[in-house]
Amino acid sequence: MLSLLQVLSSGIAIGCVYGLVALSFVLIYKATATVSFMQGDLLMVGGFAGLALHLAAGWPLAFAVLGAVLAVALLGAGLERVVLRRALGQPHLVAVLLTFGLGMMLRGGVASVPAAAQDMYRLPFATDTVALGALVVAASHLWVVCATVVLMLLLAAFFHFSRAGLALRACAEDARMAALMGVPVARMHTLAWALGAGLAAVAGLLLAPITFVHLNMGFIALKAFPAAVLGGLSSLPGALAGGIFIGVVEAMAGLLLPEGAKDVVPYVLLMAALLLFPQGLGGGRLGGGGR
Amino acid sequence: MKTISLLALALCASVASHALHAADVAGVSASEIVVGHISDLSGPIAMLGIPVRDGMLMRFDEANAAGGVHGRQLRLVVEDAAYDPKRGVLAARKLVQRDQAFAFIATMGTPVVMATMPVVLDAGRLHLFPFSPHEATYAPLHPLKFQNFAPYQDYMEAATRHMVERGNYQRTCLLYQDDDYGLEVMKGVEAGLGKLERKLVERTGYKRGATDLSSQVARLRAAECDLVVLATVVRETVAAMTEARRIGWKVDMLVTASGYSAQTHELGGEAVEGLYGVSVLPHPYAAGANAQLGAWIERYRARFGAEPNVWSVMGYTLADMFVRTADASGRELTPTVFARTLENLEFSRDYFGSPAYRFSAEDHLGNRHGRLAQIRDGRWELITDYLR
Repeated sequence: MLSLLQVLSSGIAIGCVYGLVALSFVLIYKATATVSFMQGDLLMVGGFAGLALHLAAGWPLAFAVLGAVLAVALLGAGLERVVLRRALGQPHLVAVLLTFGLGMMLRGGVASVPAAAQDMYRLPFATDTVALGALVVAASHLWVVCATVVLMLLLAAFFHFSRAGLALRACAEDARMAALMGVPVARMHTLAWALGAGLAAVAGLLLAPITFVHLNMGFIALKAFPAAVLGGLSSLPGALAGGIFIGVVEAMAGLLLPEGAKDVVPYVLLMAALLLFPQGLGGGRLGGGGR
Repeated sequence: MKTISLLALALCASVASHALHAADVAGVSASEIVVGHISDLSGPIAMLGIPVRDGMLMRFDEANAAGGVHGRQLRLVVEDAAYDPKRGVLAARKLVQRDQAFAFIATMGTPVVMATMPVVLDAGRLHLFPFSPHEATYAPLHPLKFQNFAPYQDYMEAATRHMVERGNYQRTCLLYQDDDYGLEVMKGVEAGLGKLERKLVERTGYKRGATDLSSQVARLRAAECDLVVLATVVRETVAAMTEARRIGWKVDMLVTASGYSAQTHELGGEAVEGLYGVSVLPHPYAAGANAQLGAWIERYRARFGAEPNVWSVMGYTLADMFVRTADASGRELTPTVFARTLENLEFSRDYFGSPAYRFSAEDHLGNRHGRLAQIRDGRWELITDYLR
């Protein structure tokens, strides 16, 4: 029973990371109707940015983390202004391929720094364990879960109570109508890309104590994308739920099912869920507000 | 007059023979030898590719500064395939056709090696010491292909057998990466246990790039393993040890040479203390290094501004073997002459602590052995000699 709880706690934590990356997919998709294939690379850049500010520039860890998230958010906004905006009005595939290419460039840029390409790094936080009765939880896992809850609350408040959040929601519902109502749609697109990139950077920094910072840490986006699909690609709570679902099922299947089954199970369940809920787990409430 | 004519004739013949030789042998001119290297400088194993390249560059530069090999300068042409076989094949064709590489050395990564080796061999070029444990890199015997990295299966058989006998472990288990690498190690571990008339108690796998190993470790614990063999790479090695320590499981673990890296203890810290590993070439620690190794580490730092690691040593060693073989081959260098020379050279153990490499006309695999090491006080300590 205890080992079951141990594995469950790990599954939830990893699921939260999947969920955060899935959130960044959904944010961008809702606002701009573009599936971004550079979220994994932005996550990796976020990890390295935090590392560079802390270890190379000597910033205190908290400032380095904030600085990294801000820098990657600015990078996302910059990419939208300089490159992705030009894909507006073009077939969807153009923007998708652009994100793919930009991701490769980001990766190439980081790989061109020898220290980044050659080594893995640990961000010096959350290295301890916390005992909750008999259950021993890694501090890094607790951080992930707490940060995810806080981020979700902040995002919900942003979308419900701030003008920018409301404007962003209006754009997601109907960009043309929003424009007619005076919402600066182009600026909202920039904001969506900045938020999406910033979220990916947060996921990267939270992942840093678990998988370390290295060039391939962005591959986790391969798991986050199904999570976003499972959530219906348009629901923020759905994306998070999808991520946690995949994380937990993956972990429990590894413990309970025969060897070899665990890698298939999350995807079998994903297919089953999509068959039963074609719009995803969040699909039932598609078109509602606040997401 | 007649003497002068004869002399002139001899001179012409000599020049012509040199010109013919230069025209005949790809990548060998009067002044230079071109060596091709297909690496991964930007893909998933770039952290190996870059130090390997730097180690080779360092040795070639040293040879060139000392006058080259029989007056010829060595030029290493590096192509980045980023672990992608398609890019590897393009790189191999470019190196064969445009750069006219005399030999290919240390191609990085099994998928790239498997895709490029036919291109290299069909063009009649030497295929030397690829970074792939695959049997196809040395068997069936081919006059132009040579390997000096011990196969996982061979050294893990000896390492498992030795560990189990040494520690009197009763329940050996395996955590493996679910690909060719993991399966090769599994065969070696099973063979080692088989010789002691034992079996694997439990085995559990993970997909490459897996983020979390908690379920695998819980499964192994439930099987009451007392020795866990890890067919993992650095990150997963640290993750497995950290997870075991987190849940309070004090089990002994033995990792293959893929986990034998300074990164393992740098990243793992306290959690990996006591981990056993197999070394096929020792890590170059500056502290406690012999004089020659210390000087080499200083030269490497000065040249690249980075600390050398076990991969840098491997690159340097491979380039050194190339230089020594080319030197022993004489002025009339051809792939055949190089290959026959390599079959007859003996590379004895050096200041890095490498094994002795020995090829023959019947066997193009230079080494089959690894040795046991353990992380003690935050660094790898060698605890046995090369195991037979």
